[in-house]
Amino acid sequence: MVTNTHLNIEAVSKSFGPVTALTQIDLKIERGSFVCLLGPSGCGKTTLLRIIAGFEKPTKGRLLLDGADISDIPPHKRGFGMVFQSLALFPHMSVAQNIAYGLKLRKASAKEQRERVEELLTVIELPDIADRAVSALSGGQRQRVAIARALAIKPKLFLLDEPLSALDAKLRDNMQIELRRLQQKFGVTTVLVTHDQTEAMMLADELVVLDHGKVQQAATPTSVYRQPANSLVADFIGAANLVRTRVGENGRLVLFGNTVEMAVDHDPGTAVNVAVRAENISLRSAQADQEAAGRVVFARDLGAFKEWLVSFEDQEIRVRGSASDEIEFQVGDLVTLTVDPARISVFAAS
Amino acid sequence: MRVGLLPREGGGTYRFVILFLATIGILISSLPVIVVTIMSFSASEYSSFPPTEFSLRWYVEVLQLFTSEDPSSAQSVVDSTFTSLLVAFLVMVISTLVCIPLAYALARSNRNLREGMELLFTLPLVFPLVMLGIAFLLIAESLQFDLGIWRIAIPHIALVLPFVLRNCLSAMNGISVEIEEAAISLGASPLRAIWDVVIPLMKAGILAGLIFALIISFNEFTVTFFMYTIDLSTLPIWMYSRTVSSLDPATLALSVFIIVVDVFLVVLVDKLIAGRGNLF
Ligand SMILES: Nc1ncnc2c1ncn2[C@@H]1O[C@H](COP(=O)(O)OP(=O)(O)OP(=O)(O)O)[C@@H](O)[C@H]1O
Ligand SMILES: [Mg+2]
Repeated sequence: MVTNTHLNIEAVSKSFGPVTALTQIDLKIERGSFVCLLGPSGCGKTTLLRIIAGFEKPTKGRLLLDGADISDIPPHKRGFGMVFQSLALFPHMSVAQNIAYGLKLRKASAKEQRERVEELLTVIELPDIADRAVSALSGGQRQRVAIARALAIKPKLFLLDEPLSALDAKLRDNMQIELRRLQQKFGVTTVLVTHDQTEAMMLADELVVLDHGKVQQAATPTSVYRQPANSLVADFIGAANLVRTRVGENGRLVLFGNTVEMAVDHDPGTAVNVAVRAENISLRSAQADQEAAGRVVFARDLGAFKEWLVSFEDQEIRVRGSASDEIEFQVGDLVTLTVDPARISVFAAS
Repeated sequence: MRVGLLPREGGGTYRFVILFLATIGILISSLPVIVVTIMSFSASEYSSFPPTEFSLRWYVEVLQLFTSEDPSSAQSVVDSTFTSLLVAFLVMVISTLVCIPLAYALARSNRNLREGMELLFTLPLVFPLVMLGIAFLLIAESLQFDLGIWRIAIPHIALVLPFVLRNCLSAMNGISVEIEEAAISLGASPLRAIWDVVIPLMKAGILAGLIFALIISFNEFTVTFFMYTIDLSTLPIWMYSRTVSSLDPATLALSVFIIVVDVFLVVLVDKLIAGRGNLF
């Protein structure tokens, strides 16, 4: 069978002296795919990206590009385009000079350089800024120029380290669409680092969740969202509640005081964590004498949806309802919580 | 509302104090220049201040000093000026060539090393200059060979290094590692990245350092006083020798010329450090 693996990361570990940044990373990146590395701050995302780019040497393991070991190739010979968090545009060069820099190093003729710069400026929809100084650009324009500069060299891999984190929400949203469009247009294999899960969900063909220097889950965004592999992933992805509960004597899950009709492969009586998303819980008014009721401690209407915090036993559960819901719950109301068994994930309590 | 540095109420007294201090400061620092400039236009042989009559005769005399051979003194003003310029040029070039890679390495190394090295290079500033002169003299005399022009150039390099290094270091401060890595990711070798990105961005700091080195070396007196020989002396030494027995107003005229050049260079440095100027 012909595999379509473009980059193969094999058992890569990295420590900085006593600090272990990455342990045993195994990843296969498909040709032409858009991969997002997602994880909380300090989990080793940047380190992994820098290892791919060649700026850090892995302590253990190796990288295979199209089956060939590239671990010993220095970064300037790898031909990977990189967009840095600070963008790192060259302030002493014009926009055109920035974009043409990689081509100049490749000894492209002046005509080739000019044509490629023009082509890229058209692609990023900024055809008239070639002669501007970098300092005379807006944040979003700089972003596009940095992307164009990296793409100008027709990179084998396109690497981005939190390129959009400095932009405001609206611009970030536009740039995400733009980025995805550019990636599809050029068909370049892309690895993007982010700690923003919405951004990752929106861009990625494959989502790689990193935490504590390990790959916690690598799958499509939908399956990471629907079936988180463990409670770390569930906690990090989306607005999920992690509810501490136990498996009842009959082997069924007890959740919010009710038995859920769902088989779980944990022994009766064991403590488990259940990940359940705010939007998958529904509330009903409860009678004052009803057992297994929670109390609404916070309510807000965000226009697109409503949100409540319900205090149940000693936990606070976040619940989200659509704006069209008829029922209003006020702070202090007694409620029962019900969930759709198809939409919960159960993990052994750590 | 603008928040002033000085309180507005009772600002009168504050402002008076500040103005008073500023006036004193400016007077102290510019008085010598003013006196020398006025005296250089004096018509009289006798150096008393203020002069009663004015003329350009000392400027004419300086011109003559430079144009006619003066066999009476071992080192003519022309030779001294040439030595001064050559030394200043060597000092300028060498200190910069040392400081650019040094500043790069220090800026990219850890903080402790950087601070330690900076302190080490600042030491010549805190040594008494006379002691430094004696030390360099002892070293030069203990050598078995003639140092030539380096006899003066080497001590000057030691004196200007802290200034040049500081300028290069502060120029390096704003240059992130990422910008170098960006060049590398686009295909530049690490050396090429330094040449294409780091050096151009350091340019203002490098130029400021160059000009500092030039001015300090050209005007240096104390250490040079220990190092000069019959065959090798600098312009400040020559000027001192002309005035040590009786004041020669021609040296004042020469000073005015040097001051004008220095002021021009200092203004240039100021522009460069503020990041506004651009020499090329
Ligand atoms: N050069 C280095 N020397 C020592 N430790 C380092 C170095 N670079 C990274 N680390 C450590 O490795 C771990 C992972 O760092 P990394 O920068 O990869 O995190 P990250 O996931 O990119 O975080 P963030 O989202 O904050 O950028 C951290 O604990 C960090 O302190
Ligand atoms: Mg990072």
